[in-house]
Amino acid sequence: MPVSLLHSATFRPYILMVVLIAILGKLGGERVVCSRTLYSVLQQFSLLGPVALALGLTMMIRHFDLSVVGTVTLAGCIAVLAGAQSPILGLALAALAGLSAGAVQGTLIVRLRLSSIAVTLGGMLTLIGVAYLLTGNREVAYANRDIARVVDSALFGPFSLRFVIAAGVFVLAGAVIGRTRLGPQLYSVGSDPKAAMVAGVPTGAIVFAVFALSGLICAIAGALLSFSLAAASPSALSNILVPAAAAAIIGGVSIGGGRGTPVGIAGGVLLLCCLQSGLTAIGVAPFLQDVATGCVLLLVAVMDGAELSRRFEDLKRVVVPVRPKISGSSV
Amino acid sequence: MNSDTDLPRAAQPDFAALKARITLGNAVTLLAVLVLAALALATPGFLSMPAIRSLVTTVSFTGCVAIGMTFITLSGNLMSFSLGASLSAATLIFVATLGAGLWPAILAAVLFCAALNALQGWIVGYFRANPIIVSMASFAIITGVATAVTGGRGLYILTNVAAGLKGNLGPIPGPFAAFAICMLIAQLILSRTALGRRIVLTGTNPRAMLAMGAEPWKAVVWAYALAGLFTGVAAVLMAARYGSGDLQHGIGMEYSAIAAVLVGGTAIEGGRGSFLRTFLGALFIAVLQSVLVLRGFSTEWQRFGMGAVVLLVILLQRK
Repeated sequence: MPVSLLHSATFRPYILMVVLIAILGKLGGERVVCSRTLYSVLQQFSLLGPVALALGLTMMIRHFDLSVVGTVTLAGCIAVLAGAQSPILGLALAALAGLSAGAVQGTLIVRLRLSSIAVTLGGMLTLIGVAYLLTGNREVAYANRDIARVVDSALFGPFSLRFVIAAGVFVLAGAVIGRTRLGPQLYSVGSDPKAAMVAGVPTGAIVFAVFALSGLICAIAGALLSFSLAAASPSALSNILVPAAAAAIIGGVSIGGGRGTPVGIAGGVLLLCCLQSGLTAIGVAPFLQDVATGCVLLLVAVMDGAELSRRFEDLKRVVVPVRPKISGSSV
Repeated sequence: MNSDTDLPRAAQPDFAALKARITLGNAVTLLAVLVLAALALATPGFLSMPAIRSLVTTVSFTGCVAIGMTFITLSGNLMSFSLGASLSAATLIFVATLGAGLWPAILAAVLFCAALNALQGWIVGYFRANPIIVSMASFAIITGVATAVTGGRGLYILTNVAAGLKGNLGPIPGPFAAFAICMLIAQLILSRTALGRRIVLTGTNPRAMLAMGAEPWKAVVWAYALAGLFTGVAAVLMAARYGSGDLQHGIGMEYSAIAAVLVGGTAIEGGRGSFLRTFLGALFIAVLQSVLVLRGFSTEWQRFGMGAVVLLVILLQRK
């Protein structure tokens, strides 16, 4: 059991997280490992978690949703603009916009057989364009400041409403993938789309559903973030794609598709948030956190590389040259 | 006598080939170009000398990066998210080394940028690591290290050394001349050298490369190195134009560049495309932007228009 846990990509981030917390505790003691840091980790999780899950789900079916940035931004703007009177209405409209943006992109990818990178690149640019259009290229403040308190204040312990919703999305995704037929179907589409189709998996419907879901999840996260900040801006969130991809990959999602679980993605997000909050608490400058994230991402990319083992063999051959043995006795 | 009867026969297949080439995509492309040209000509002030000069100068910076991006796209590695960060870093290198003279500074910036991207190309090609993830990681690392070194401040050109780069080549602004020359060089590399053919073959079918007895990763490293090289040229032009090296210079540049590549009609999955297409794509976007500005559309409409055009072009690319 312990050996299989160590080798499981899903639990790897959790083990690393324990190690990280131990190191941080050693370095900073009570000042770093405290309930305030935990709260900040969970608040970061509330945004990064759902976005990483959305991106991770599309990576699991061997696609890549670049438009997550656009959806989060646009949903935040819609929630603030439309939710002036009723926050629920704003959230609902934002969710609807995200769902339809994802559904349209999913349809285009399935029906026109286009590369998901290309479609979602265009989708991202268009969605951000719409966000600029709606806000008139300025930051929009949200008048209803009570709602910021509602979504961010602790419900119980360090858990805010925003975190509970984000965690709920993960639990739901984990349950659907782990307990229903959709899970195996998802993995089969990711590992080998043609074989999945032959086996009778509705591959088109799965791809469509995953992209629609990705849009919906990102929209909810973006809307809640805007409520929490009591503001929305069309240019605010351009730097979330890198940590989201990093979290998903650290959490065991393979960019080649067919691997990864929501539990693993949650672990990846938590590890990244712990790293960031911990480094901030110790007093490391934010740009060095960028470097740290980048290095981890690069390392994982190399370890995920399709030809790593072959190159390792090449290296062994260079270091220890294999010579054909010439011995008279065996001939 | 014989030649008379042969002629129509020879002409017939040509006509059929022509008919086959008039597909929906081509027709829409032609229509879009004509509509844009008509709009541009009907826009008051578009044909004025200052407007055209500013148009072709600004298109040169994105254009050179787009030429670099085209190498990466052609080699089958989609796009790089780190070309903008490389550009910013190279402007800093250029300004920092300007004390040693103009040519050493140009050489330093361009070679630095080429080496930076060749390293990414090696990781992508040698280990077959995912290009999207590698370039995202590189973006974070380059930005982080550059901020750590400069403290987030820009460097300013205090001397007159780089003034020559802002000048004109006859009636043509210097940056645009450089852009056009870059396009020609890149196109020559692509269509006249073995390296160009290998990059395209790697993008089309890396297994065929292996079967041929050539290592695909070498072509990938070259594609990335060339991408860095042309991005370095853009960095030198930008630093000279704005008189500074700054991390802000390259923000969002990779998106404008890939937009130009895709609007030009280079296939995102690699193996099909040309630098003339990228050149025309960059010009198309620049003219569109200029028309939107001159017709009084605000920044937000320009942003939306750009996004919608890129999305439309991608949709028209379907096979």
